[in-house]
Amino acid sequence: MSRLVLRGLTKAFGKLTVVDAVDLALEEGEFVSLLGPSGCGKTTTLRMIAGFLEPTAGAIEMDGRVISSPGSVMPPERRRMSMIFQSYAIWPNMTVEENVAFGLKLRKLPSEEVRRRTAEILEVVQMSHLAGRYPAELSGGQQQRVALARAIVVKPSVLLLDEPLSNLDANLREEMRFEIRRLHDEFRITTVYVTHDQAEAMATSDRIAVMNAGRIEQVDVPHLLYTRPRTRFVAGFIGRTNLLEGRLAEGEIALDGFALKVAQLADRVPEAGNRPILLSVRPQSMVLHRTPPSANGRPVLPAMVAERVYLGESWDYVVRPRDSGLRLRVAAPPLQVHEVGDPVWLEMDPRQIAVVD
Amino acid sequence: MARITRRGVLAAAAALGGGRAGGAAAQEQQLLPHERELHEAARREGELTWYTGQMQAEPSEAIGRAFTERFPGVKVNVVRSTSQVAFQRLSQDARAGVAQCDVFSSVDQSHLTLLKRQERLAQYRPLNASGLIPAVREAGDPDGYFQVSYLAIYLIGRHRRVTEAEAPRSWRDLLDPRWRGQIAVGHPGFSGAIGSLCVALRKLYGWDYFRQLERNRPHIGRSAGDPVTLLNAGERTIGMGVPSPTTLLSIARGNPLALVYPADGTLMVPAPSGALRNAPHPNAARLFLEFIASPAYSRATRPFFAESLRPEVPPPDGARPLDQVPLLMPTAEEVERGIPEVKELWRDTFGV
Amino acid sequence: MTPSASDGAAMSGDTVTVLPRPAAASRAGGLLDRLRNIEPVSLLWAALAAALLFLVAAPLVKLFVASFETQGTGAFTLSNYATAYGRQRYLDALVNSLTLGLLSAAISVVLAVPMAWAVSRTDMPGKGLTWAAVLGAFVVPPYLAAIGWILLAGPNSGFVNQAWRWLTGAEGALVNVYSFTGLALVIALNSFPLVFILVKAALDLISSEMEDAANIIGAGPWTTMWKVTLPLAWPAVLAGFILVFLETIALFGTPAIIGIPARINVVTTQLWQFFEYPVRVEVAAAYAMPLLLVTVGLIAVQKLLLGRKGFVSQTGKGGERRMVRLGPFRWVLFGWCAGVGALAVVMPVLVLIQASFAKAWGRGLALDNLTLRNYALLLFEHEMALTSVWNTIWFSAAAATIAGAIALLVAYLVNRRLVPFGEVLGFLCMAPFVIPGIVMAIGFYAAYASPPLALYGTATLLILAFTARFLPIAYANSQAAVRAVHPEMEEAARILGAGRLQSIARVTAPLLKKSLLGGWLIVFILASRELSAAVFLVGPRTRTMSVLLYDLSEAGNFEVLAAFGGILLAITLVLVAVGMKLAGRDFMLRRE
Repeated sequence: MSRLVLRGLTKAFGKLTVVDAVDLALEEGEFVSLLGPSGCGKTTTLRMIAGFLEPTAGAIEMDGRVISSPGSVMPPERRRMSMIFQSYAIWPNMTVEENVAFGLKLRKLPSEEVRRRTAEILEVVQMSHLAGRYPAELSGGQQQRVALARAIVVKPSVLLLDEPLSNLDANLREEMRFEIRRLHDEFRITTVYVTHDQAEAMATSDRIAVMNAGRIEQVDVPHLLYTRPRTRFVAGFIGRTNLLEGRLAEGEIALDGFALKVAQLADRVPEAGNRPILLSVRPQSMVLHRTPPSANGRPVLPAMVAERVYLGESWDYVVRPRDSGLRLRVAAPPLQVHEVGDPVWLEMDPRQIAVVD
Repeated sequence: MARITRRGVLAAAAALGGGRAGGAAAQEQQLLPHERELHEAARREGELTWYTGQMQAEPSEAIGRAFTERFPGVKVNVVRSTSQVAFQRLSQDARAGVAQCDVFSSVDQSHLTLLKRQERLAQYRPLNASGLIPAVREAGDPDGYFQVSYLAIYLIGRHRRVTEAEAPRSWRDLLDPRWRGQIAVGHPGFSGAIGSLCVALRKLYGWDYFRQLERNRPHIGRSAGDPVTLLNAGERTIGMGVPSPTTLLSIARGNPLALVYPADGTLMVPAPSGALRNAPHPNAARLFLEFIASPAYSRATRPFFAESLRPEVPPPDGARPLDQVPLLMPTAEEVERGIPEVKELWRDTFGV
Repeated sequence: MTPSASDGAAMSGDTVTVLPRPAAASRAGGLLDRLRNIEPVSLLWAALAAALLFLVAAPLVKLFVASFETQGTGAFTLSNYATAYGRQRYLDALVNSLTLGLLSAAISVVLAVPMAWAVSRTDMPGKGLTWAAVLGAFVVPPYLAAIGWILLAGPNSGFVNQAWRWLTGAEGALVNVYSFTGLALVIALNSFPLVFILVKAALDLISSEMEDAANIIGAGPWTTMWKVTLPLAWPAVLAGFILVFLETIALFGTPAIIGIPARINVVTTQLWQFFEYPVRVEVAAAYAMPLLLVTVGLIAVQKLLLGRKGFVSQTGKGGERRMVRLGPFRWVLFGWCAGVGALAVVMPVLVLIQASFAKAWGRGLALDNLTLRNYALLLFEHEMALTSVWNTIWFSAAAATIAGAIALLVAYLVNRRLVPFGEVLGFLCMAPFVIPGIVMAIGFYAAYASPPLALYGTATLLILAFTARFLPIAYANSQAAVRAVHPEMEEAARILGAGRLQSIARVTAPLLKKSLLGGWLIVFILASRELSAAVFLVGPRTRTMSVLLYDLSEAGNFEVLAAFGGILLAITLVLVAVGMKLAGRDFMLRRE
């Protein structure tokens, strides 16, 4: 049985539907991210899971029991979850130790055990030496660790994280990303992680649910989201891509100025013939050649370099295939230098082409 | 107001002169049987509330203390204000349908006659009243709804900066432009005494008197006693309608004041008190009326220069015997009809 | 945007039908869950709404209704209005009030704005003293200041005038407190802290870059002040002006004490006259209506005036602030501040202290004029004096507590959006702000004095009236306090297993403690000096110090009055000291 299930979860404020019929199931010990641009409804979803908001429709179940449905919401304090907030919400009137011990004391554990578990978790997050400090005396990263410790120490049935790293600077963010994953590997707590940063989601999650305009567009393991985006939004939101509109007919996909054989594509292609189709071609999946490459079965298009930008780690070229109105973005290693206006040969890898609905 | 005649009061005043403090103090501390009985009942009520506009705050508090001293266990909650404000409070109580006041005392006689007519007073003739100076006793309500508790005397006060020779000798003299910016007076909208004074002077000289008075720009306070303080401080030199006791007390305390008994009449008001019918402490209220009629009351007010109501208690030091001065004594009917009128006229003439 | 359950359900009706139904077992427990999962906030909302309707709405409605009622029968009539506006004198009083309000507010602005600018933006010395002066003026009750100024500026005996005559040999008086300007000045000297607090808070928010921007294109410091800095504080100046205006037209004590000798009848003293026998509540109600209209109108005008221009820096963050260097001119400003402080606090208080130990205040400082009798009379002989001290303390404490509790709960509900229509509660809390205290008192008298509640003369009535009167201040304070505590602070506690009340008790309350205490003390101090509402509502057993002071002032016995005022001031000062210790030095003067 799944630990946490969202069924048709919907939230509307007045006429504005913020979360729209979301379905999602989390297995025990699974780490799932809700990823999407701001305003996509991910935080609202998380706050419904926490019990701070009442759904307008749909339900949330935990271990098979409905804990949220319209008109009936189990209050947050009875859900045995814990949460890490964007603002950390470390109580400034309590020391680090008191903050961490708070949840344990509420559970009426013997003081000996409270002390022991608090000490242990502070050890885990490397904050033991600061146990007596007040939050105002801590750096942002340290506060974040306290928030983590406070949330984990109670061994919650579900751990919720609401953009926990958005207030940290870039280096620290990267460090904490791995810290969160490490803690998850150690404690295997079922986790819902809300973020708008895809790298963060990729680095931490078992699965990612990409949300847009209140709906879940796609739920998948990180690498499939990248290689097999199922919607135009996901394809565009996760990494950069070239979206090509074509027409599927008689085993071929006709694109502007050239065609691909369906048989070459690794991705599944809809059965019925003669219909419009959308392909996602990642810039990294194409190679530019100065001279025509030897035939290896992959499609090769003669093209011309239209623009280029040097990004340090790579070149970003925009090339125009001959006899085509397309402008394709192609990534190339720093040493592959082509001048604007140079003729090039563009080699595509059909296995890396994704068919988008 | 019942039958108080000028002759009666004069006779009373004459009697006062010959009175002496009779009976040993120890004997008087003994309560009379009817007092003891009422005291028992009043003690169970524990307190009474007294709205008074008669004497100033300090003597009023002293009366309250004297009562409790004589009748232990019964506290007096003294609510001292000007007579009109006291009546305003009583009216607000009535309008709200709340009974808070036990005994009501005013310088405006018409308050008590009005209350009697509205059947809001309790009928009670104190047994001790038999020992009052006859004129005072007779000035009380013949039906026993109220009795006189204060012979209020109002006249002209002067700062000693103004010598006796140049001082005004009558109310009329106050209109002399010499006193421009020198006069202080209370307000008939607050003070019952000033209301009565207005009624009396209007009868004597017509309302034009006050229009002329306004040309002298008198300083208008609220209580009739207000000018005494202004005189003490030297803010003004002539006090119009100041209470004799307050002024005498102030002189006794070393302030440079003197009294002028106006040739055209010292205002005298036999100011009444009555117990309310819906008094929350009816027995304490009756006991208080007994107290007012007793020598203990007159003795308590004597240090504050109030006229004595009992033959046993001599009149205050420094006051002239009342039979030697002409008196202005508007009747209760005149006051009842006149005060609302003069209040309006006053406000139109003086602007406040 | 308020989450509204009914809206949402209607919106997503079709979504519900296609939902995969949860397992039957959990549906059976649905009703039980529903009951168990109800939060008590809805009940709280109802309770607060009821309390606010009782405290704020009902008295006002009753007042409005009464203004159309015939006394006794209650039949509809317009005659109350005819009576209330039927005499020139009554209309004059209205005009007097409005003029007085404008004049006092204008003087307050003139007094306060330079002080606020000096403290906030310049290198003027003696800022601590200036603060003390402002705080002092704020703490001294208006009627005490009025009496102080009678002693100072009585045309013949006032010390200022005596000194003037002694110095110049002149005959006349330098100042006459018993005049329209005298009255306005006394009120302004007592009310200018309202302007100061608001303007200083606004100036504090203006970044020096604003001034730099003017400097760089060639404006000198004075031009910059006039053209840039002060205009940016204009909304605060206007708000302060309106506040003082409202205070002034609702003031009862000062006009009663100074206005009568000065021959100035104002609305409040006229309202008092309508309570003379026979008590004409209905006429008073009709007469009070323009006061309400004027205040509501003023607020509208304020909105209109501020609506067009942008005052971005009002909301923007402070940025860097540097003090304007004034050179020798800073001593001129200091002189101004010191002068205002002397006039508003030092002189009146000194003269009151002198009077409280004097046999006759006009005789000045002399050995044979010294006495302790005034204090002795109050402390040992006056039955009511100590009772009234006690009344004042406990009524004010009760009112501050109730107002604080209601305000905190409403602010919490509104800020956390826990209930639909929370703003209605907030509105009701703020409504008394525009209701002059004396109007409120008449509403309370009309609504609750008589049976069935028959609260007249009870402590309850006064406590409720004080509560209602100072609810806006408590609410503004609570709102700021609650807003400062991030909701996630509480949510963090809840998700860890603390109930709503528990998380408020364990997390929110400790975080709010300081600012709530400050708010409590402000309400306490304001309530302890309240006169204009109390004077209509006290009974013989429930007189407060302010009312007793007013009663004593009738006979003009300023020596005893001053002694009683001294006792009141001493109590207030102790409280202010406690407040500073517990809630921070500037707890009284923070912007609300």
